[in-house]
Amino acid sequence: MPTTYGPEDATLTVHTKRAGAAAKAGHDLTILVERWSATYADGTLDFEADPRSLRVLAGEGGIGSLGDDEKAGIKQTIEDDVLDGSPITYRGGELTLNGVTRPLEFTFDGTEGRAEVKQTDFKIKPYSALFGTLKVADVVEVKVRTNG
Amino acid sequence: MVELNHRFETGGDTAHNWDAILDLDRLIPCVEGGKVLERESDEKAKAEIKVKMGAMSMTFRGTVEVASRDDDARTAVFAVRSKDTGGSGYANADVTFALNDGGGDINTKATINGKAASMGEGVVQTVLDAMIKDFTTKLAKL
Repeated sequence: MPTTYGPEDATLTVHTKRAGAAAKAGHDLTILVERWSATYADGTLDFEADPRSLRVLAGEGGIGSLGDDEKAGIKQTIEDDVLDGSPITYRGGELTLNGVTRPLEFTFDGTEGRAEVKQTDFKIKPYSALFGTLKVADVVEVKVRTNG
Repeated sequence: MVELNHRFETGGDTAHNWDAILDLDRLIPCVEGGKVLERESDEKAKAEIKVKMGAMSMTFRGTVEVASRDDDARTAVFAVRSKDTGGSGYANADVTFALNDGGGDINTKATINGKAASMGEGVVQTVLDAMIKDFTTKLAKL
């Protein structure tokens, strides 16, 4: 019997790390995916997520703390420049992101799960600023955790 | 203090380049995020630079002035004096242009404190270097 999950009974987050010579100027981000659904059956997890439902929860580091305006700005950048509204699905061990489908290991034990997504594998150019000296690291971590 | 040296090429002759760099209305926007707020004289302007660091940004506001010039040698020193509008920091620089056919050399001596400097001198130097390299590519089109 498949188990279904969504934002009401589990938390799906994306974690980014800063990179580049000026990494100290940036923030490691925790981003919440607000609209998604998943099914778990026979040890296999499938899910789909709305690329326009990512919201920055927190940013660590930087030379100043992220305010609501900055968080909203990051959300806009993710939607416009990184994900561009392209559907996100994970089925049969393959992730489709930015129109590219590739095998990806997403571990899930029924309570917690994680995966590492290398942006360039999906033809996403990691965001950079400050003349390329401040970047988002190519690999981002995706975590899911059921509530309770 | 951070000191950096760069070279720029325009392909134009020295007289053309000399006129271009001494025109603050043309020179200042060549710095990414830079704009003239008010001209105080031919050789002085109130200006600001907005440095974007991803979602966050820092704005420095102050003056850019031709502190000295030698029309025969085609060298000029620009004094940049600015304050961080969002804090107590400042960014000052003396930028020396020495022109010759086809381009010129830029020597930058910068002193930065406050939030930006908290990243460490090595980081400040790397970012300034990248910023000035970008500046030189825009100078090439003046």
